[in-house]
Amino acid sequence: MVVQFSDCAVPARCSPGRRGEAQVTVHIVEDDPGVGDALALLLRQIGHEVAIHPDAESLFEDPPPATQDTVIVDLGLPGVSGVQVIRWLSRLKTPPKIIAISGQPRQVIEKMLGDDQPAILLRKPLTEEAIVRHL
Amino acid sequence: MDEDQSGGGPVTPSVSEARLSSVLGTAVDGIVVMDHQARILLFNTACEKLFGYTADEVRGQNVKILMPEDFALAHDRFVSNYLTTGEKRIIGIGREVRGKHRDGREFPIELSVGEAVTPEGRQFIGIMRDISARKAVEQRLAQAQAQLVSMTRISALDEMGAAIAHELNQPLTAIMLYLQAAKRQASSGSGADSKLVEIVDKGVNEAERASKIIQRMRRFVEKREPERRAVAVAPLIRECLELVTLGNACDGVAFAIDVEDDLPQISADPVQVQQVLVNLIRNALEAVRAVEDKRVSVSAGVRERDMIIRVSDSGGGVPAELVPNLFKAFSGSKKKGLGLGLAISRSIAQNHGGDLAVEQAGSGGGAAFVLRLPLSVGRASAEAQDAGEGMKGSSE
Repeated sequence: MVVQFSDCAVPARCSPGRRGEAQVTVHIVEDDPGVGDALALLLRQIGHEVAIHPDAESLFEDPPPATQDTVIVDLGLPGVSGVQVIRWLSRLKTPPKIIAISGQPRQVIEKMLGDDQPAILLRKPLTEEAIVRHL
Repeated sequence: MDEDQSGGGPVTPSVSEARLSSVLGTAVDGIVVMDHQARILLFNTACEKLFGYTADEVRGQNVKILMPEDFALAHDRFVSNYLTTGEKRIIGIGREVRGKHRDGREFPIELSVGEAVTPEGRQFIGIMRDISARKAVEQRLAQAQAQLVSMTRISALDEMGAAIAHELNQPLTAIMLYLQAAKRQASSGSGADSKLVEIVDKGVNEAERASKIIQRMRRFVEKREPERRAVAVAPLIRECLELVTLGNACDGVAFAIDVEDDLPQISADPVQVQQVLVNLIRNALEAVRAVEDKRVSVSAGVRERDMIIRVSDSGGGVPAELVPNLFKAFSGSKKKGLGLGLAISRSIAQNHGGDLAVEQAGSGGGAAFVLRLPLSVGRASAEAQDAGEGMKGSSE
């Protein structure tokens, strides 16, 4: 069973991974350790299962995210870029929800993304409210 | 009786006068001869065109008639002072002064004055050239340069703002999220600490305030879109070279422009593109300063749907270790300046939907900077402009 978070009236209070439902994991692909750790801490407090990946390569080493999962990916990753991660995730047979995050100026983001526009793009600094709204 | 200077023997006064008359009539420059009381004795054809008076009208009149009031007031004093003290203010020196046309219009002239001692007393010969056109060009270039300086300052602020916003974003994001997590932790469960929650809440508010400052700063920087219009590239390049050579010592530097015929116009902000090119040409000039063979060339041509403008030099090239950070703000290796020039230039190129890149070994042997600008506003840029403040699917 797939948990439809978007159907929740108050998404922040949804409790992912409830008994009998598929385990939902939020994958964070973020190279800044402070941002990755803080985001994971907050999401765990909200009740999410969290996996942190400091780069794209470590995400690829694990089994691909499930369709009920959410992947929060920073666009400015070293090595394999966030845009390539988005492209890869979007082409999965059952792609997860993708939330792109970036602290770069708009023109740089536009140049990085090209035609690979993610459905959700959040610009840093991030707030709990902005993240939870999309989970 | 005069001696014929060509060695043909003595000439009659009528021949001498005819010769003088021909010289005065043919001269491109205005020639005025006046006596020691500043009365006009001679006024040539070029002067008639320059000032709008005929020779007959001004003959015998004080030369002040040709000067604006402020000059005219001082002129008698200058002449009298020179005749009594011998102190030269203009004779044999030459200077830029203002003339006054018959219709009252003032115009800049370059005036040189000579003196002759004749049987009829001391006479002064003034030779004048209208420099209105040259002054207009100088003024236009000065205005363009001032505009460039102003744009560069604005761009530097933009670039600095963007860099600060970007650098602060990461730690601020972490602070916000940690505080929000701490607040949740402090307020959960039976042992909730209301005082701690209140303190953390204040911390969250302050972090949010800092976050809003960053967002405002970013919006301010990002809303500055190029003011596009159709721009002809060849004259723009020529003007950039004029601007650079105007204010820099360019001795011994060979400049070359290689622009394809019938280049299409580009849709761009001419001041911003000029800013990029002036910066690149100045850099090139600096790169060749220490080398013997000083060459700077600018070429322009079309490649697919882009205009490619290449600025190359015969300098030492860009060291390989500098290339990765060459276009980053505050990363310059120059002793003067903030190292924003190339960062700004690339931002401008990217704002136009193009880019700026470096080739380590350009055609001149040194570095070559390649500016790529789309010939027309592309789909991506148009979408970005339509999207306005935000981005497709983005929120803050």
